[in-house]
Amino acid sequence: MGRYIIQRLVSLIPIIFGISILVFTILHLVPGDPASIMLGTNATPEAIQALRASMGLDKPLVTQYLDWMGGLLIGDFGQSVHTGEPILPEILKRFTITLQLTLFATLVGWAIAIPVGILSAVRVHSPLDVIVRIVAMLGISVPNFAIGSLLLLILSLYFGWFPPIDVVHFWDDPAEAVKVFVLPAVTMGIVLAAGIMRMTRSAFLETLDKDFIRTARAKGNNQWKVVIGHALRNSAIPIITLAGMQIGYLLGGSVIVEQLFSIPGLGQYILDGIYQRDYPVVQGGVLFIALVFVLINLLVDIIYTWVDPRIKY
Amino acid sequence: MKKRFLSILLALGMVLSACSGGGQEAAQTPQDGGQTSPSEAAGPTELIVGAEQDPVGFDPHKVPAASSVRIYSLVYDSLTRLDSELNVIPGLAKKWSFSEDGKTITFELHEGVKFHNGRDMTAEDVKYSFERILNPDTGSIAKSYFSSIDTIEVPDPHTVVFKLKTPDSAFLANSSSAYASIVPKEVSDLNTEAVGTGPFMMEKVESGQYVLLKKNPDYFIEGEPGVDAIKFQIMKDEAERLAALRSGRIDIAQVSADFANLLKDTKGVAVKSYQSMEYSYLGINVNKKPFDDPRVRQAISYAVDRNAIAEVVWKGEAALTGPIAPAQTAWALDTGSYPSYQTNIEKAKELLKEAGYPNGFETVLETASTYPDMVETAQMLQQQLQQIGIKATISQLEWGNYIETWKSKDMTMLVGRNTSGIDPDRSMRFFFHTEGSANVWNYSNPQYDELVQKALEATDQAERKKLYDEAQKLLVEDAPNLFLASPKRFYAVSDKVEGFEPTAAGEVYALVKTSKKN
Repeated sequence: MGRYIIQRLVSLIPIIFGISILVFTILHLVPGDPASIMLGTNATPEAIQALRASMGLDKPLVTQYLDWMGGLLIGDFGQSVHTGEPILPEILKRFTITLQLTLFATLVGWAIAIPVGILSAVRVHSPLDVIVRIVAMLGISVPNFAIGSLLLLILSLYFGWFPPIDVVHFWDDPAEAVKVFVLPAVTMGIVLAAGIMRMTRSAFLETLDKDFIRTARAKGNNQWKVVIGHALRNSAIPIITLAGMQIGYLLGGSVIVEQLFSIPGLGQYILDGIYQRDYPVVQGGVLFIALVFVLINLLVDIIYTWVDPRIKY
Repeated sequence: MKKRFLSILLALGMVLSACSGGGQEAAQTPQDGGQTSPSEAAGPTELIVGAEQDPVGFDPHKVPAASSVRIYSLVYDSLTRLDSELNVIPGLAKKWSFSEDGKTITFELHEGVKFHNGRDMTAEDVKYSFERILNPDTGSIAKSYFSSIDTIEVPDPHTVVFKLKTPDSAFLANSSSAYASIVPKEVSDLNTEAVGTGPFMMEKVESGQYVLLKKNPDYFIEGEPGVDAIKFQIMKDEAERLAALRSGRIDIAQVSADFANLLKDTKGVAVKSYQSMEYSYLGINVNKKPFDDPRVRQAISYAVDRNAIAEVVWKGEAALTGPIAPAQTAWALDTGSYPSYQTNIEKAKELLKEAGYPNGFETVLETASTYPDMVETAQMLQQQLQQIGIKATISQLEWGNYIETWKSKDMTMLVGRNTSGIDPDRSMRFFFHTEGSANVWNYSNPQYDELVQKALEATDQAERKKLYDEAQKLLVEDAPNLFLASPKRFYAVSDKVEGFEPTAAGEVYALVKTSKKN
């Protein structure tokens, strides 16, 4: 197991290297450079040139790449060309915010999805099952920004409530943090729940059809003992896989919800970077998310072995 | 053991879901939140302004982004200021005088003005600031405003003398720009350390969240500012700003015409508007065929229905405009005086026929996808041009790409928006002089160049006005750009706010005069 983890971690190096080249090349191929975007249609050519020089963009691309990589090796993600601020602290700061939002959303998602998914599988083809499937379909189809806007609109218009506008961390003030994160988390959680609910339902249906379940029932176990004691663990692998992937996506892909609720997370940071062609920010941010994604997958693989002892690495 | 743990976990999930998960929290919190007044957590008079963009640095000489300007303009002062009618009034300079030949300007500075770090502001700082602007290494956007400066002299700590190469009648107006802020010479990185003489001091910057400014207790203008603190709260989504305003979390937000309409009957919120200095335009590359023929450009001008654009794109909340936006009442001409600005399809067809295109032609309209108004304007133009046989395909460009196209001088027809600027010199010379930095249309007319140069050097106001009138007419006739509409801008303001009267002179002017009820 230890060897496996080390192997996986070592394999990160070529992945990161590949991603770095890819991001760097794609970004620099896109037309528009930070200097002219900053100066807009008010610019004089000299001003653009001077700004480019002060941002270090007049150097050859290879030099720029090597400078950046050189920095990365010693843990220096560079500085934003726009604000001149170092990038790594900003990424970490924003990542902690996105992480809290993601975990809260996941909690909301699971709390809805797993029990409902199980119920739906146990009572397959019942009216409850049909309703659950329709709601899940809706949850998957309606984009999260629509759900978020609706929640915001209804609460502010009819109840005069609006979440606090400054982000508070859970570890500083849990109650206030819940107020800050609850709407975006519910928005994201609803969409999450739909997917997990469907996966839970089908995984359980498959398991409940297995011989060992029939045996368990034949031994006189009641319904809940069978479902929780026997079926749950055996259905967990696909659910965990999906949940792991979802967390990974949420960490990088919660941009729209962050935008909607003014949550200054990592996704928004990178998106702004893209609009402003702030190369170091986008490069650093994407690399960081890739890293986190790989680590989460690793974590999911480790959880597999715990849930299903037959899996060995 | 593991089994038991798992079942506890699951049971917990069940209980949570029985309480309908996050939904319950969402339903409960409104009551808690509803009772919290927005000013409860903050100081006695803190004005919260909903800002749509994160600022990208605070160096007034280097950063032109509107999201930054609105903030650093409150931290710094310039030599002069504009009042609500756009007249130049004293700023850091209490008075000034011109020499007989118009080539020397002497500014007398206020005494006892302090930078936020406690040091007295002197004439040396003014000299340093202007030299910094003029230094090509700074990459200052205002460098071209002050190209007439030859030398700067400091005879005593409160007098600055600018010697000019040529008379420059735009100098006073340009020196009121935030890009010409006076900065202290000892601060090396103005992006990280914003130290000015302005009405507010930089208190805290939380990137992606807010910028907090605190009142400067030693501000040299008596009675300003009216509030103890201003917080620019970053809220990128307009619907969110609207909801926050309705529920009292923020006090002021700029909103679109559509949203202003929605807010009209909202209790506790007033909508204020002003005629902006911006205008939308259709830019034409005069080197490209068939646009190198002035008759083709004229034909397009006759085919365009500017009123329809103002009505549809700006919901009727826009004025028709010529080369100088109508907010500059002293300089702008009534568009009624331009024959080609009255829609006349027959005349347009005739001109096209004369130019050798009786059946029209195919072309491209480029615009930025980032701004819905630009895209809508392009769509309106597309329909209108179709009436005279010009089939235009719209090409929507992402902002960075759009700027590249604008710079390239190789566009075909470009739909965009400009800011007229506070002095007609900018609207005229900067955008359309043969050597004008922003003349990307390849437009060149010696007669026009002479007129705008003469106007810049004219010391007599009436003479200057006459020259600009002539230049505007000439420009409209040559039509390298078709000027379309100048939109109104809207602010939604909570009724706790007093004295906030936005004008074309800018948000800053309005904000320093604003106070707030508790």
